[in-house]
Amino acid sequence: MTLSTLFTAVVSLGIVWGGFIVFMIIAIKRERAK
Amino acid sequence: MTRDFFTSRWGMIISVIGIAVGTGNIWRFSRIVAQNGGGSFLIPWVVFLLIWSVPLIMAEFAIGKLTRKGTIGSMATLAGNRYAWMGAFIGFVTTAIMFYYSVVAGWCMYYLSASMGGTLSSTSDHMALWESFSGGYGPLGFHIAAMVIGALIILRGVRGIERTNRILIPILLVILVTLAIRAVTLDGAWEGIAYLFTPDMDRLMDYRVWLQALTQNAWDTGAGWGLILTYAIYARQKEDVSLNAALTAFGNNSVSLLAGIIIFSTIFALSPGEGVKELISGTGSTNTGLAFIFLPQLFQKMPGGVVVQTIFSSLFFLGLTVAALTSLISMIELATRLFTDMGLHRRKALWLVFGMGVLLGVPSALSLQFFYNQDWVWGVALMISGGFIAFGVIKYGTDKFRRTAINGEGSDFQIGRWYNVLISVLVPVQVVVLIVWWLWASTTWDPDGWWDPFRPESLGTCLLQWGIVILVFVGANSWLVRRTMSSREVS
Repeated sequence: MTLSTLFTAVVSLGIVWGGFIVFMIIAIKRERAK
Repeated sequence: MTRDFFTSRWGMIISVIGIAVGTGNIWRFSRIVAQNGGGSFLIPWVVFLLIWSVPLIMAEFAIGKLTRKGTIGSMATLAGNRYAWMGAFIGFVTTAIMFYYSVVAGWCMYYLSASMGGTLSSTSDHMALWESFSGGYGPLGFHIAAMVIGALIILRGVRGIERTNRILIPILLVILVTLAIRAVTLDGAWEGIAYLFTPDMDRLMDYRVWLQALTQNAWDTGAGWGLILTYAIYARQKEDVSLNAALTAFGNNSVSLLAGIIIFSTIFALSPGEGVKELISGTGSTNTGLAFIFLPQLFQKMPGGVVVQTIFSSLFFLGLTVAALTSLISMIELATRLFTDMGLHRRKALWLVFGMGVLLGVPSALSLQFFYNQDWVWGVALMISGGFIAFGVIKYGTDKFRRTAINGEGSDFQIGRWYNVLISVLVPVQVVVLIVWWLWASTTWDPDGWWDPFRPESLGTCLLQWGIVILVFVGANSWLVRRTMSSREVS
């Protein structure tokens, strides 16, 4: 596995999956607070 | 004003993810990745998630919650009565897609039954199986079955939508995760994953890769279709817009990546060397070729014997069927809502949509040429729909829209002025670039017949069909406004 492969995997998975997980956590917290 | 609402935030989000996640995430994403340089595609695809999908989904959530009307009433409220025809166009385009999407859902249902019944694992010629099925009357029966299932769900209103998605979307996720675990543990699977994430720097500089990445976002997130707008009519008043929109867009693209991991792992493990060539330019280079011919061939090579092969392929087609049905019901709801906005009783509106759907889906069920024509014409028209939604926001006043509709009651995040630039500048620019590029590309596929309106994938057929629809709706604009804006919803 090259560095560029690792970089693309981290960026795409990090932003897309990471973003989804972070938004989900925020939504759960906001919903509990309401 | 509607009296039915989603019971909770999660009920709404899961239903909207049901719209966004369709067959395109599973059968289109992977082959487009392969045809556009693997990892090179993923970088622009993430960029357009942020500058196309998120702003448009946010706009749709906010418009539905603000206007509490379907696409016609929404455009009339946002942009003014004289632009109601734009809302009718948006609604028509998605309804026209429904006419053939139920055929797609039917194909998936047939392949699920063929897989469970053992036909897929016992056949030696998958091309012949597909040609014999698609060339006969089977697709018609399954198309009608898909419409019946969809109509029965919509018959129960927003509760039916919510309950169905609460069951089907978790099932879909469990299926995809199960398939992913099996796929990545096959010998050679990691080479597929490496291919998925390895960028080709030359391809990254190719403008066509960027346009394909934008197209994938335009077609598979549900942004600009009017569907999310329709579900948002049933959002509670205290419901958030911005965070829900982000969850939808990122959730949809997360599913695409998961499907990509499954398909690339499977292909590289079961057909090393040759598999990716098939995906780029062979049997797997079309949606139907990939799902119904190439992948079933590969499933037969899966280690573990017939039972494991049958379970794997049945789960795959169950996932595809679920993804198709949860999107199909949103299309039926969109069309039904347009008629209830005009004062028709909901049940009558639904049966009207069901009848039209069954009848007008027949040509696509019986002729692949007709199907491909409709997929081309209304697929590209979705970009015009996205442009009309951005136009509605601009006419309403972009900053006013941001402050009152997005950052209004229930908002979890305050969206800044950057949104104004995205929706009023970047989205319209992307719409124009995409439409011009696709129409120009169609002239290069068929240099002699691009003007011919009777060729399935020509510029002429788009201009003729869009032209007729726009002329009819512009002519009927006053009538549309009278019926939609003066009548009260009858539930």
